[in-house]
Amino acid sequence: MRELFDFFIRNSKWFVYAFFVVASCMLLFQGNPYQHHVLLTSANSVTSAVYEVSNNVTSYFNLREINEDLNRRNASLEKEVINLREQLQRYAEAEFNDTLATGRDIDHFDFIVAHVINNSISRPFNYLTLDKGSADGVKPELGVIDQNGVIGIVSGVGPHSARVISLLNPNLRLSCKIKNSDHFGSLIWDGNDPTMALLEELPRHTVFTPGDTVVTSGYSAVFPSGLPVGVILDDGRNHNENFFTLKVRLFADFTALGNVQIVMNNYSEEIAAVEQTDADSDKKRGY
Amino acid sequence: MNKTVIILIALFLVLVPAQAVIFNNLILFNVALPLVFIYLIISLPVTLSTNWSITIGFVTGLAVDIFSDTPGMNALACTTLAFVRKPVYHLYMSFDDDLMGMRPSIATMGSAAYFKYMLTMVFIYCFMLFAIEAFQFFNFRLMLMRTIFSTIFSFIIIYAIDSLSFKRS
Repeated sequence: MRELFDFFIRNSKWFVYAFFVVASCMLLFQGNPYQHHVLLTSANSVTSAVYEVSNNVTSYFNLREINEDLNRRNASLEKEVINLREQLQRYAEAEFNDTLATGRDIDHFDFIVAHVINNSISRPFNYLTLDKGSADGVKPELGVIDQNGVIGIVSGVGPHSARVISLLNPNLRLSCKIKNSDHFGSLIWDGNDPTMALLEELPRHTVFTPGDTVVTSGYSAVFPSGLPVGVILDDGRNHNENFFTLKVRLFADFTALGNVQIVMNNYSEEIAAVEQTDADSDKKRGY
Repeated sequence: MNKTVIILIALFLVLVPAQAVIFNNLILFNVALPLVFIYLIISLPVTLSTNWSITIGFVTGLAVDIFSDTPGMNALACTTLAFVRKPVYHLYMSFDDDLMGMRPSIATMGSAAYFKYMLTMVFIYCFMLFAIEAFQFFNFRLMLMRTIFSTIFSFIIIYAIDSLSFKRS
């Protein structure tokens, strides 16, 4: 018995070695890595704390590369955004074409969708530039609207561009009426605020309240009647005169114009011809 | 002896995290991996009983394994390294001068013997480790390259660390 103990003690290093080798091999050939105890992986608290400290330091080392990667990614995403936006705009134009023609007497109006490529709001006389011109059928004296309301009237046309007198231009007087009444006045910009205009020459007996909608009258053959223009802001009527002057908040946001529609009146020549006959006969009768 | 224990604990606390954080990421040309923490086993006092060195070796290897998610690999190689430590030492030094409990170093062994001892130990460890690795993924040429270049690389770094501690003492 004693000899046996002596044997164990003398050769203890072999047994210890065998024990640890077996333990290591058990770890080594355990097979399924999902079955490892969490203490024996780098996910335990001590290890993760050490790695967290080192990561706090080393995460700064390759910031430049990460930054470059992010920039590259950013550029590609931006490209994608631009692509998608163009696509969206194409769809918006198509939808715009389909849905906006809703008026009663809208049948003889055609619409050309155009994009605003230049716009000013801060000068005393403001103009827009559109990307459609005579090649697309745009002519001078056509109305321009967007999804919110009236924008202006085409004044000059190039082959592929058109200049529009903005509503924010005192040269443009727009014949307007208050919705649900037939009294009309003319809308004119006073040069101060791109969101405001004045409705002048409104007969004194017109009944309205602030908040009523101002729409196009349809008397000019440029715009169909009933297109929204703005909303009456305050009751600034001057009772001493025969005509009111009202402040109108415009629906169209001139600071952010994108797609617009050019209104083409198919009967405009006919109307002009009829009006011309009247004027001629007036002249003949000596008025 | 007490001082030696403190030094060994300090070495453990420095070398194992250093291996995990720094040296495991310092792979050159995809073949040379510096295995620095075995300096702990190389510098165990020669008079320390083999049972103790095997235990220390296993614990050290297991700690490195836990950090680098290689269950058992380093533990097995370290256990073996600790087991053959004394025979390797006696390849180069006679049984007469057992250093009286000192740790092997240039000062106690002389530079030639110490270099030979260290290089042999590092080579044994690298060979063991990459042989064990070959159980999971066998590529003889890659294993050979890794063994040779890791031995050289580890030896250089361990020598640098050793020269630092040599100056201190």
